[in-house]
Amino acid sequence: MADLQVATRPAQDEDRSKANRSARTRERALQLSFLVPAVVYLIAFFGYPVVKNVVMGFQHYTTATFYTGKAPWVGLDNYAAVVGSAVFSKAVVNTVLFTAGSIAGQFAIGLGLAVFFRRKFPLSGVLRSLLLLPWLIPLIVSGTVWRWILDQDNGALNRFLGAVHIADRPGWLTSTALALIAVIIVNIWIGIPFNATILYGGLQDIPEELYEAAEMDGATGWRAFRHVTWPLLRPVVGVVLVLGVVYTIKVLDIILGLTGGGPANATQTIATQSYQLSFQQFDFGQGAALGNILIVISLVFAILYLRANRRAVDE
Amino acid sequence: MTPRKARTGLAITLTMLAPLALGACGGSDSAGDSSTLRVLDYYNNEPDKTVYQKTLEACGQENGVTIQRETVPGANLIAKVLQQSSSRTLPDVLMLDNPDLQQIAATGALAPISDFGLNADGYIKGVVDASTYQGKVYGLQPVTNSIGLFYNKDILDKAGIKPPATWDELKTAAKALTKGDQYGLAFAAPANYEGTWQFLPFMWSNGGDEKNIATPQTAAALQLWVDLVKDGSASKSVLNWTQADVNDQFKAGKAAMMINGPWQFPVLNADTALHYDVVPTPVPTAGATGVAPLGGETWTIPQTGDKDRQAKAAKVVACLNSDANQLSLGKQRQTVPTKTALLDKFVAENPSMKAFATIVQTARARTGELGADWPKAATKIYTGVQTALTGGAPPASALQQAQNG
Amino acid sequence: MRVSRWAYTAIGILILAVLLFPLYWMLNVSLQPGGSAVDTSWLPLHPSFHGYSTALSQQGRNLVTSLVVALGSVVFSLLVATPAAYALAHFRVRGANVVLFGILISQMVPGIVVANALYSAYNDLGLLNSIPGLILADSTAGIPFAILIVRAFMANIPSSVVEAARVDGAGPVRAFRSIVLPMSRNALITAGLFTFLFTWGDFLFALTLTTTEDVRPVTLGLFQYIGAYVNDWSSVMATAVLASIPAVVLLLVAQKYVAAGTTGGAVK
Repeated sequence: MADLQVATRPAQDEDRSKANRSARTRERALQLSFLVPAVVYLIAFFGYPVVKNVVMGFQHYTTATFYTGKAPWVGLDNYAAVVGSAVFSKAVVNTVLFTAGSIAGQFAIGLGLAVFFRRKFPLSGVLRSLLLLPWLIPLIVSGTVWRWILDQDNGALNRFLGAVHIADRPGWLTSTALALIAVIIVNIWIGIPFNATILYGGLQDIPEELYEAAEMDGATGWRAFRHVTWPLLRPVVGVVLVLGVVYTIKVLDIILGLTGGGPANATQTIATQSYQLSFQQFDFGQGAALGNILIVISLVFAILYLRANRRAVDE
Repeated sequence: MTPRKARTGLAITLTMLAPLALGACGGSDSAGDSSTLRVLDYYNNEPDKTVYQKTLEACGQENGVTIQRETVPGANLIAKVLQQSSSRTLPDVLMLDNPDLQQIAATGALAPISDFGLNADGYIKGVVDASTYQGKVYGLQPVTNSIGLFYNKDILDKAGIKPPATWDELKTAAKALTKGDQYGLAFAAPANYEGTWQFLPFMWSNGGDEKNIATPQTAAALQLWVDLVKDGSASKSVLNWTQADVNDQFKAGKAAMMINGPWQFPVLNADTALHYDVVPTPVPTAGATGVAPLGGETWTIPQTGDKDRQAKAAKVVACLNSDANQLSLGKQRQTVPTKTALLDKFVAENPSMKAFATIVQTARARTGELGADWPKAATKIYTGVQTALTGGAPPASALQQAQNG
Repeated sequence: MRVSRWAYTAIGILILAVLLFPLYWMLNVSLQPGGSAVDTSWLPLHPSFHGYSTALSQQGRNLVTSLVVALGSVVFSLLVATPAAYALAHFRVRGANVVLFGILISQMVPGIVVANALYSAYNDLGLLNSIPGLILADSTAGIPFAILIVRAFMANIPSSVVEAARVDGAGPVRAFRSIVLPMSRNALITAGLFTFLFTWGDFLFALTLTTTEDVRPVTLGLFQYIGAYVNDWSSVMATAVLASIPAVVLLLVAQKYVAAGTTGGAVK
């Protein structure tokens, strides 16, 4: 009997390991099939544009190119031209201020609102939905309404400030000192719903039991936030911040709608300058060069995010 | 569920992958029968949309073709034209804003109108200049407009002031008319080509030139604007206002005078309590000739590779520019016909357009000198204007900075 | 003394009143008879509904188009993105970081470049002026975003739960469908919400990928009232207000489902 068992075991082992291997391969294939549709979609829809955008930065690409297809290679000339232009340093400073100011404001207020709405109170659901209303309005409409509100002579904001005697008709969109601040405020206004809703969703995923346990250990309020909320919220915070940077750096319509990059380039960012080079001056090569500079800046943040993310996974 | 959906998704996206991988492969033009012509323009809102629809259909019928029309918002026309250029799907008849024609003609996408036996004889010179590239005419423009000085008759009468004709008179009048929340003058100086457009009459009438804006003549024109804003006759908001905003201010009585164009007539006329009139933009000194910029859109015939369709398209363009149509379009759209022979008749039938009929005869095309290089110069102009108006630099150095780019 | 819950409601309403003031202003202008914005009074005391009648009569079909495209895009995006998000969060896939990197890069590309490329492709494939075409194109905003957000939420789902299911004999797909998806309800709703909003507000693809008025989302239809020379702001604002009503209803319904502690129970 024992000999028989010993004799058959190697064969069984082999079969089992073969079965294991094919099960593993099948498992692997199934796992990949989760990813494949998304990857195919991304390559199909983004592959060509990304490559084309990078290449355009090195070409002399004008309106003629659209018709003739000829785009002579100019190497780094486009980059030299845009970096050397008088408005570039201003655009860089404005971009940094605009992005930093917007993200700080949106995130802080968004997080505050998310925490505020965590409590159950009457009408909280309705109010939370209404918070998203700014996103339902086309940007052209919001931009125009804000232009009217911020008008120096007749705008609602200045009428209000005058009535309560806080300030005497500041030129929100016409003063080089204030224009960037005004544009940042409007951008924060637009970004609040995004941050608040996603952070709220993240907060909701933190189990109530953890807070109860912390409370029993004497940690409430700020300490509970630091020890319970923040660690579990980190992945969501990471995504919100990195997406915030990537989206904000690209912001175009709001600035163009409010000030067109003025007055006197006070609100000119790299993104608006890129748009103007391409679509007002028809030098698409230079526009793409600026656009690629923006991508490189965003890439830095993306890499930071991926690093932080990998560390979090390992923890 | 998921794997099946995944497979369908995969199939769909793979079908999309192939052409995208080949890049912008030139789509063959839908060489349908040449009895349907495609038209692209930017008259996407009323009343222009219906006016041109009727006119185009009538012209189509006359020439035995049906019109298939695509309208896009004004700011997006060029983007569409470029997309269609690269996929070789340009329409048979293409409308372009007149300063854009040379840009597009330079790409080779348009056919000279002389290829079809058309010419622009008898048209206002500036209008022809805009539609000319390297000596050949590429488009015909049926109607044009410009800008002038609108004034509120009641306000000026009450103050006993005559509509100003020179810069000095303008400064005095504007100052005298500024009281309370009413400004003497409103104009538009935003950070885009509208700002450039509004500055041109002042610049050109004083001898300034877009080839080099760092000249004393242009600086003097800019000084006028700076003075008006500094002494409070014009609001600082001019830095942000569009011409539509300026019109709103004038209509609401917040400005006694404004620089604007005849397209505002319908809106202003709707307010029966408002009595206004128009004179040419004030000139530097008495007796000088005012030179204003020419507006309006021109109709072109893209190279679609189908001679028959192009010939038919040319006929439609010619029909749009017929005497009858020029007069009719001018009347309906508050614009001025471009054939000089029609001007007297037009003014007789439309007395409200008298001022503009005079203005356009000495007006100038924006691309007349620089052609496809106009956009860079236009950007320099509004940049310099904004720098000076915000107090960033005195006019001469603001313009020099802008000119250096 | 505990703060009454109604105090929170009051604060909430106050916060929203300040935040939504520009929208009130929009409503105000839409009701003004003049159609312009100078000297607009704080309250629309003499309301005029001509903007609304114009909008209703002309934009009805566009509204429906926008709704269909937006909902279609949500469904398609979630179908493609959710499995991918799960794979990136929990499977040890080599090159996961490359995929994430690629997704982030896709968010950095200017939209006009994507639109131009799509125009050529769509023209060749005959997908212009089609609703499926718009759904596919608008998902370029939804899919990358949904993958990133859902993945971040799914990172908090402990692997122990899934492994327990696998030990019980469930395949990866069954485990995904029966265990992971229900626990990711918040993630899916949040991702779906924003995919809807991105698509709803899209103007670029609406403009680029249509050449006739058959399929015209309301963001493009709005421009009928914004001309090269004259603007009819009452109609524009009225259209914006009307267009937001069905969307608000959808948002209200969706938000009800973002409930607390969906991950908590399973650990027990």
